[in-house]
Amino acid sequence: MKRILTFFILFLLWLLMVSAVLALPPIGSETTPVTTHVIPRYLEQGVEEAGAENIVTCVILNYRGYDTMGEVTVIFCALIAVLAVVGREDPKLHTSKVDLVGIKESVIVKSVVRFLAPFIMLFAVYIMLHGKESPGGGFQAGAILGASIIIYTMTFSYELALSKFFVKVRTLMEGAGPIAFFACGVVALFYNQNFLTYIIPGLDPVTQTAMRSLMIEIIEVGIGIGGGTVISSIFLAMEKVEK
Amino acid sequence: MRSLDLLLLLFLIIAAFGVVRTKDLLGASIIFSAYSLIMAIIWQRLSAPDIALTEAAVGAGVTTILFLITIGRTVRREDE
Repeated sequence: MKRILTFFILFLLWLLMVSAVLALPPIGSETTPVTTHVIPRYLEQGVEEAGAENIVTCVILNYRGYDTMGEVTVIFCALIAVLAVVGREDPKLHTSKVDLVGIKESVIVKSVVRFLAPFIMLFAVYIMLHGKESPGGGFQAGAILGASIIIYTMTFSYELALSKFFVKVRTLMEGAGPIAFFACGVVALFYNQNFLTYIIPGLDPVTQTAMRSLMIEIIEVGIGIGGGTVISSIFLAMEKVEK
Repeated sequence: MRSLDLLLLLFLIIAAFGVVRTKDLLGASIIFSAYSLIMAIIWQRLSAPDIALTEAAVGAGVTTILFLITIGRTVRREDE
């Protein structure tokens, strides 16, 4: 009896969802407000209004800036939660499980990582600085930067990684994302404009667009550095084991 | 190219079922990494390279490593 009831309720839920999907306008329909108002505005005035050639970057950092700022803050809060539960590592007291097991690293993996890790980091910097013109941006660069540090720590030893990526330096850089975002967003408030619009009135349009580009660049670099250090700090804090 | 898309979607569904049905957590997280990789290719095919980059770096790389560390730090307790 219970089973039949469950099945019946699930079936009703399925019907509801299917009817909701069927009621949506078809994808790419020309009469929806998205295609008549939003997309033309973004494509025609995006470069001028938001200051980036890549429309995705315009949407992420300018038109939907609040959303991205929330995400950056969420990543930072994740780091705080991990550090509150696990605690930060100390180079004198901690080592990693991989080091304790004492399996010898393979020469092939070591030399490949030694060769590739600098290029992965270079790629991350490229993505970070080119987020305005091409696919990519701060988040992706941060993730790749963090992944390269993780690869380095896993192949070489934990202590070597800690001696390269100091705790003190990482502590300073972890908040870079939210701080850069907030600092650039708050500038417009001083000129009685809305938060995160990056508008400075009284400038001619060319300088205005250049200022916006500069601020977007600053935010991208901030998110990239902040994201990379946050990911590597979470990894290093979780990986630590008492010596 | 349509057959490639269908093949990728098929693999995606198989990988998703594999993650849910696998009892071994280590195996499940590795299948989850494969799922993310397939998903990254699908994002690229849908011409969303930004999300493909994020999915490949975060989904297939960082998340898997964090899962593995968490599995290593926890104790297995099945019979209770």
